Amino acid sequence: MPGRMQTIRGMCSAILILSWLVIVPVQQKIDRTIQTQSGPGEFLYLPDSQFLRTLCLGHEGLLANIYWTRAVQYFGRKKIDKAPRYDLLGPLLRITTTLDPQLIIAYRFGAIFLSEKPPRGAGKPDEALDLLRKGIVANPGYWRFWHDLGFIYYWDLKDYPAAARAYLTGSERPGAQIWMKVMAATIAREGGADTTSRLLWSQIYEEAENESIRKNAEDHLAAFRAQDDLRTLNELMREFAMRQGRPASSWQDLVALGMLRGVPRDPSGVAYRVAPNGAAELGPGSKIDLRLLR
Amino acid sequence: MIERVTSIALHTLKESIRERVLYNLVVFALLMFGAAILVGSISVGIEQIIIVNLGLSSISVFGLMMAIFIGITLVWKEIDKRTIFSILAKPVRRWEFILGKYAGLMLTLLVNTGVMTMGFYLAYFYAKRTLDWSDLIVLQAVYSIFLQLALVVGIALFFSCTSTPVLSAVFTFCIYVIGNLLSDIRWFGQEAGGAIVEGLTTALYYLLPNFANMNVITQTAHGQAVPGYLLVANTLYTLFYLSVILSASILVFERREFK
Repeated sequence: MPGRMQTIRGMCSAILILSWLVIVPVQQKIDRTIQTQSGPGEFLYLPDSQFLRTLCLGHEGLLANIYWTRAVQYFGRKKIDKAPRYDLLGPLLRITTTLDPQLIIAYRFGAIFLSEKPPRGAGKPDEALDLLRKGIVANPGYWRFWHDLGFIYYWDLKDYPAAARAYLTGSERPGAQIWMKVMAATIAREGGADTTSRLLWSQIYEEAENESIRKNAEDHLAAFRAQDDLRTLNELMREFAMRQGRPASSWQDLVALGMLRGVPRDPSGVAYRVAPNGAAELGPGSKIDLRLLR
Repeated sequence: MIERVTSIALHTLKESIRERVLYNLVVFALLMFGAAILVGSISVGIEQIIIVNLGLSSISVFGLMMAIFIGITLVWKEIDKRTIFSILAKPVRRWEFILGKYAGLMLTLLVNTGVMTMGFYLAYFYAKRTLDWSDLIVLQAVYSIFLQLALVVGIALFFSCTSTPVLSAVFTFCIYVIGNLLSDIRWFGQEAGGAIVEGLTTALYYLLPNFANMNVITQTAHGQAVPGYLLVANTLYTLFYLSVILSASILVFERREFK
């Protein structure tokens, strides 16, 4: 009898191990098959966030955190695509903020990246404004939403009077910092000027509560600096051409005349180059994206 | 009387420990510390919020599972194993038995919730690198969860006196779900327009336990304190509702005949 039991145990163990060994290649085959099939496209299983909130039975905060994490990962994954489309970013953020209306980061991060032009964002400033208005209703004491609202009116929609109004309204909220009033006045006076835009991006950079937003602001500020550099370098090139009667062929020509102290570099550390037509431009491999300023 | 109730309660606690019920604490610990380590790398800006949400939701879900699955067998097991005869043959009254069983499971849940809360604070400290007095707000949510569990145990015990474990689990879980949706049900009745439907949904609203009153996890995760009057009102609500449900359990159990 004990011998028979041992045989059964041995057989069971062998079947267990062998089956497991077979499961792995079968699963790999299934994975390959699924990958080659074209999916039905992106969709949300539960697009009605209010319904989802009802189903949470008091755990909506945790679900909001999960949706928020999914939104961040979705954004990160899409960003590395060649021609990214952020179709689900808006719905994911709406669900997140319905589940937890006090999750400030979701409104602020969402508004910036919903409004940014592709490929850096979804290019949907109207959705971003809706999200921020929802945030303002749910968190009336949080004056920084007015800063984000004004910024989107200013930068993405070029609606300077609306931007100035948003900053002014925000400046009247309890606890709002004085620079909100300064912004309102500056935009009303010089809407669209580079100095105003730079001031706004600097404020976004200083106010940024997470790395993605800070990096985005940093890239814009670097583009502004590069744009200024190129303007100055082109003036120097013109001056050189006037003095020497020929266009400069390299930066060394300007260095030799004492017009430059060395080869100029952009904010990402890459040397500017002299184009065949004698104009200054970004060097190959530069990380600066001047399209951000369009 | 108190000695007998205490004796049954302690026996119930020992039985739960013997049955390795508290092993769920290991899963909880793994979940909390896993989250504390991982969450920073997969999400943005919510490291502390997610730990509070996850910790409190875990305390609630683990507690709920214990309350339902132990609660439904509290009385039924004694009847099924016929140990009820030897218990009732001693100078123990039936209502003392019911109260003792209830207190025993609440004691088990108290130990479980207490240890989980300590585990939560350890993980929170790991993620935040510091703890201050404002972090004690979380205890308000833990208390609210404990009130919910007290109600669930009462309901499970009631069904344990009247039905089989499977049906008791289904009924208790259904009441828990409905108890979280009572506001929506009442709103539905008001929107439906008919006086009968509205009357019925309003009656359900006051008849069934309202668990949504005690859902404060999300606001606690944002560092907002639960108003003192709400805590007091919820405590009174739970005490009165427990009086009702335990009285009903005792009434059913007193009339029950054992073969």
